[in-house]
Amino acid sequence: MQPPQLEWQVAKVTAIRPETPQTKSFTLALPRWMAHQPGQHYDVRLTAPDGYRTERSYSVASEPERAGEIDLTVERIADGEVSSYLHDVLMTGDQLEVRGPVGGYFVWDIALGGPLMLIGGGSGVVPLMAMLRHRAARRSTIPARLLYSSRTQDDVIYKSELEAMARSDRELGIAYTFTRQAPSGWIGYHRRIDSAMLEEVMRPLGADIRTYVCGPTLLVEAVASTLVRMGLPAERIRTERFGPTGN
Amino acid sequence: MMHDDDDMNTALMVDGNAVAGELQQIFGRDMTMAVARCSSCAADSALGALMAFVRGPGVVLRCPACETAIVRIVETASARYIDARGALYMRLEL
Repeated sequence: MQPPQLEWQVAKVTAIRPETPQTKSFTLALPRWMAHQPGQHYDVRLTAPDGYRTERSYSVASEPERAGEIDLTVERIADGEVSSYLHDVLMTGDQLEVRGPVGGYFVWDIALGGPLMLIGGGSGVVPLMAMLRHRAARRSTIPARLLYSSRTQDDVIYKSELEAMARSDRELGIAYTFTRQAPSGWIGYHRRIDSAMLEEVMRPLGADIRTYVCGPTLLVEAVASTLVRMGLPAERIRTERFGPTGN
Repeated sequence: MMHDDDDMNTALMVDGNAVAGELQQIFGRDMTMAVARCSSCAADSALGALMAFVRGPGVVLRCPACETAIVRIVETASARYIDARGALYMRLEL
């Protein structure tokens, strides 16, 4: 259920954690916390001393089972006025104005069922991570696959946590693809996501799957149209585009 | 839907999800699952799935099938203008 009135609230930054050279996770303690649905986001608003205001929307990375606080993982965008403030200025103990959780379209929880196919590009993995953390927190055995496209290995967000999740969960499979430089000795995918890759990763899940695609707009466009060409019903494909990336 | 000459617009496009907060503050409920019927091509789309252009002075939500502007929202210092003439109707589940 959504609250009747969605209002801005002042969160306190309780932790900042670098994830990759370009991304950081911010833990925010919320005075008026409410459980989000994995995939939902929060708007962050900055107000300058002269009254100039700007806001951006960031996906929640954490699972709703963690009460009282949320994690937002934010990628630094080259000319991004909000992301560069969050990366360069914001410190633990600071306050931050947020509004959320919002969005009912790009959401999944275990009640919706599966099998679950998650496809992420770059920081598009963030809302998918909320889904996987929720699934893990509930010890769900819904079969799930994550296909995660990054430029290089250094750009993989949540790397150790994803590997630990995949090791301890027989129903979860994670496939990586690197679009620029693959690690030395890498025998996995080393190209943009294409239909052959999607077919290989999705095959074990069968035909009746729920698919969530999140990433840069051009990746989402390409993947979503490929999925439709592969015969997946459009209503089973949920997409979230987040515009241009860091470079 | 994609043309060579609008790569930049496509790259800057997000979806209706990105304005979920603004819509919810206006309407008092989640609107991303509300369905709009396009006045031009009659396609039904959840607002969360519309093409959203948010880097301008206001917000423009376009039909993913025919690109007609479904909703435009502009905020001034004293008021908010909502032009939804691109929708024949919106359907909100009770």
